[in-house]
Amino acid sequence: MIKRELAGLMVALAVLLAAVAGTEAGEPKRGGTLTYTLHPEPTALSTIATTAIPVATIASKIYESLLEYEGPFLTPRPGLAESWSVSPDHTVYTFKLQRGVKWHDGTPFTSGDVKISIEKVVKPYHSRGAAYFGQLERVETPDPLTVVFRLKQPVPYFLKAFQPTESPILPKHVLDKLDLSDAKSVRQSELMQKPIGTGPFRLQEWKRGSHIILERNPTYWKPGRPYLDRIVLRVIPDGAARAIALENGEVDLVPMSSVPPAEIARLAALGHVARSDKGTEGLGPIMWLEINLRKAPLSDVRVRRAISLALDRKKITNVIWFGQGKPATSPIVSGGQYHDKSLKPFEHDPGKANALLDEAGYRRGPAGVRFKLVQNYQPYGESWVRQAEFIKQELGKIGIEVETQSLDFGAWLKRIFTDWDYEFTANSSHNYADPSIGVQRVFHSGNIKRGASYTNSMGYTNKRADELFDQAAVETDGAKRERLFAEIQQILREELPVVPLMELDWIQLWNKRVHGLITNGISIYTGWDSVWVE
Amino acid sequence: MRGLRDCWHRYRRNRLAVVAAVALLAVMSLAVVGPVVYPRDPFEMVGRPFSPPLREYPLGTDVAGRDILAGIIHGARVSLLIAITASICAAVIGVIVGALAGYYGGLIDDALMRATEFFLTIPSFVLAVVLVAIFSPSVYSVTGAIAAVSWPSVARLVRGEFMAQRVRDYVQACFALGMSDRRVIFVHILPNTLSPVIVVTTLMVATAILTESGLSFLGLSDPNVVSWGYMIGVARTVLRVAWWMAAIPGVMIVITVLAINIAGEGLNDALNPRLKE
Amino acid sequence: MPPTALFVLRRVAQLVPVVLMIAALNFVLLHLAPGDAADVLAGQAGHATPEFVEELRREFGLDRPLHARFFIFVGKVLALDLGRSPIQQTTVAKLILERLPATLLLMLSAILVATVLGVLLGVVAAVRHNKWADRLISVAALVAYATPMFWLGLMLIVLFSVYLDVLPSGGMAKIGSGYTGAAYALDVLQHLVLPAATLALFYVAIYTRLTRSSILEVYRLDFIRTARAKGLPERSVARHALRNALLPVVSLAGVQLGHLLGGSVLVETVFAWPGLGRLLFDALMQRDVNLLLGILFVSSVVVILVNLLVDLLYARLDPRIVYK
Repeated sequence: MIKRELAGLMVALAVLLAAVAGTEAGEPKRGGTLTYTLHPEPTALSTIATTAIPVATIASKIYESLLEYEGPFLTPRPGLAESWSVSPDHTVYTFKLQRGVKWHDGTPFTSGDVKISIEKVVKPYHSRGAAYFGQLERVETPDPLTVVFRLKQPVPYFLKAFQPTESPILPKHVLDKLDLSDAKSVRQSELMQKPIGTGPFRLQEWKRGSHIILERNPTYWKPGRPYLDRIVLRVIPDGAARAIALENGEVDLVPMSSVPPAEIARLAALGHVARSDKGTEGLGPIMWLEINLRKAPLSDVRVRRAISLALDRKKITNVIWFGQGKPATSPIVSGGQYHDKSLKPFEHDPGKANALLDEAGYRRGPAGVRFKLVQNYQPYGESWVRQAEFIKQELGKIGIEVETQSLDFGAWLKRIFTDWDYEFTANSSHNYADPSIGVQRVFHSGNIKRGASYTNSMGYTNKRADELFDQAAVETDGAKRERLFAEIQQILREELPVVPLMELDWIQLWNKRVHGLITNGISIYTGWDSVWVE
Repeated sequence: MRGLRDCWHRYRRNRLAVVAAVALLAVMSLAVVGPVVYPRDPFEMVGRPFSPPLREYPLGTDVAGRDILAGIIHGARVSLLIAITASICAAVIGVIVGALAGYYGGLIDDALMRATEFFLTIPSFVLAVVLVAIFSPSVYSVTGAIAAVSWPSVARLVRGEFMAQRVRDYVQACFALGMSDRRVIFVHILPNTLSPVIVVTTLMVATAILTESGLSFLGLSDPNVVSWGYMIGVARTVLRVAWWMAAIPGVMIVITVLAINIAGEGLNDALNPRLKE
Repeated sequence: MPPTALFVLRRVAQLVPVVLMIAALNFVLLHLAPGDAADVLAGQAGHATPEFVEELRREFGLDRPLHARFFIFVGKVLALDLGRSPIQQTTVAKLILERLPATLLLMLSAILVATVLGVLLGVVAAVRHNKWADRLISVAALVAYATPMFWLGLMLIVLFSVYLDVLPSGGMAKIGSGYTGAAYALDVLQHLVLPAATLALFYVAIYTRLTRSSILEVYRLDFIRTARAKGLPERSVARHALRNALLPVVSLAGVQLGHLLGGSVLVETVFAWPGLGRLLFDALMQRDVNLLLGILFVSSVVVILVNLLVDLLYARLDPRIVYK
């Protein structure tokens, strides 16, 4: 009798525990709408047209690539490819594709789609296509479910290339109708505005200036996914209005630091809002002062070191950027595998800076001014302006008179990257999945190209660094590669062609009714098929 | 001289206008004397950000820990300087264009009026935004842009006045005497058109302050100076957390613009006495 | 031909060269700016090669010399082809047409509210001349006239949307609500209240003061004394007075349209209202010259047309006006 009662008690307890566990951990629920807001409004729905952040964010729900990724370091997992193998010399990659995948218009997905997308569209027209597939010799499709990539030389980061924003697979039956030899016809094609992908969501409605609605793909190849019925992008041009919308529950998610920095702390303190700097660390965001090495006295490394010594990176991080990140020690972000951990934090020592400038021969004039500089900054928002004001103050204290120049985006790009007509500018950059993609382009002398944005605008030439970059681009041994990049970072620390300031995180804010958002280092740029709402 | 004294007497009778003039004088002395008495640099980070007024600092600190009172004082100087300079430039251009158009008439009038019409068809604030954005924001481009959108109304006014005056007897007499055009315009007609021009210019200063603050709100201000509009722009992103940062410079704008408008109208009544009700 | 029709025709004929001149001058002005759409697009793409940028330039015809582009532009304007926005990847006409209704709705509501409220308050102030109601209204008008529009908008959001939570913070309608018909209209109306109020307040002040002084002025005129002497009821007298007093208000309304468009840039920004004002600002920041020219062109045409309408209205109100 007692046994039966005990058993009954145990069962009741188990049921209770299960119920509690169920609500605590939360079972994904089918259905519901996720509304997010991001500024500015995307101009296309494919990253072939442009890899701007708003486009990358939304296109990654519609298009997919061969792989998915896990964790902050982007460990590859099956995506449109269910398995893969690599040849011992790392020049042949064979992917086996998933069965039963359909395009949004019902056409079956095959290896032919992969071949034409990578060879004819991503490699020539994606802004990082050359970085990923520069060594691609050809793509073979022995059968409809197998794709083989043959590379001329090993590419150690090759498997990182298959992110939905970096190499989206586009439909062959649509691409065949376009003239793929002409960039214009590809980028202005209807496919860019009315996408057809394999992803968990497809376009339902786009009302410019107001909203974009994505609806669930009922024939998505993952069973039971996606959980959401709809994803809605609400266009709200004003940052304060976006913050209010999140607070009022009118939107559920604001990714990529799309509210004013002061609002982030306030919103995060609200009971119903969650905050995270994860979900984008795989992009490796970093911020520095880019210095035009052609102009005196900035060509003198002592001046650059003095500038670095004068800046209190802790204050920049905590006051200007409201603690959203940490001071940088290298152009390679600390989250990544190749960051040199032995680098010490940059010193803040105005006394040393003054001494250095005196020693270098730039004495103070009658008004206490040694020389004048003009500063620019990336015109992305308020905090950049505050930072410029701060830098002006701090450099003033060591005798450098700074005049701040306010330029809009087009003028700034032209000045910095086409005319090379600047002295120093605050700039942000991404490492992307590997330093060979995001860092090499800034410091390799082969990338001193007039008119190409986010390249080596400083005019930095260091033969040893170039050698190291070239070696690292094809070195498949992880430990050797780490040593190569470590040496590069030592050189960059010595020479300071840029003055690293801060690893500026992208912050995500969302209503706690949203679950399953952060799954890896590039979550914001993934399909969100595992996201669900209460 | 007697005319001036009469003006002053008429002005003095309007009590509201006198109060406004006093307020305006106060703001102007703040602009002139303030930075000497309270020399703190408005860009200097002096303390903890978001400090409320009357705690550590008289008006608190802003998002980067800078003294708001220093911002108000320096902002007074910048906002007033830009507004007054722009208005004077606009007045000078407007007078020249209007005088030439009204005096000579015919083709010159047509050409100048077409130019004026162009400026009047594009909304003035929009044109100002376009000009400042094109020439990159600085005190010079902002001042220039405000002047560029303000001169047409002065020109129209002066043209009307000149056309009216030209047919008057005393001007006909000048012609009969064989006076040069220059003499007629500058020595005889122009002084008679001065009072409406002065009033319009005064009122233009008020509009200029509003335009400049609007431009700063959109991010189009000189990054090396602090103006009231700029302070509201800074505070815009933290309005929910610290509304006083925007309220204080906003109130200053309202007070200054209000004072100028009332004083300007008082000036108008004093210079052009009509039968009052 | 009746004089009205001739008048209209002549004005329309004057329209064409003015508009063309506006277009030409806009074109020159905008091309003075450093940087172009290709730079912006390349920058947004993140990692662009010089070939990429040159390619973009060729795509959008930005590599041709200035005078060639000018003639192409003029040709297109005459054919009413406003071109294509490289940055937004659609035709300019489509972008403008998508946003025009929202701006018109906002501006017309603001003008309506401003005129009705302004005239009403002006009449009250004039009738209760020099009493406390008059003083209150006059001072309030003065203060409203001195208030920066964007600041007012922000304060209203904080009050009505955050603390009181009775009105939405921005946008034109609730997304994905699927409202139709009356429910949709109500939703838009709710979203319209704050931005229209913000935009209108400045003009309420103007119309109030204008109506007040205009009425007071008119009441002193001879024909009013005559009407009274003839023994007309006060209400008739008032109607005559109002009709005359409204003339300057009407003519001012037309002029103010241009200013309203400028104000809409600020208000649309603060309230995320999907209209032309904000589109213009974004286009400017992105060096989207085609779009900019298109917007400036359209707004100039609208202003001219409204001025024409106002002139006609003015003439109807005051039969003394003789068409030259």
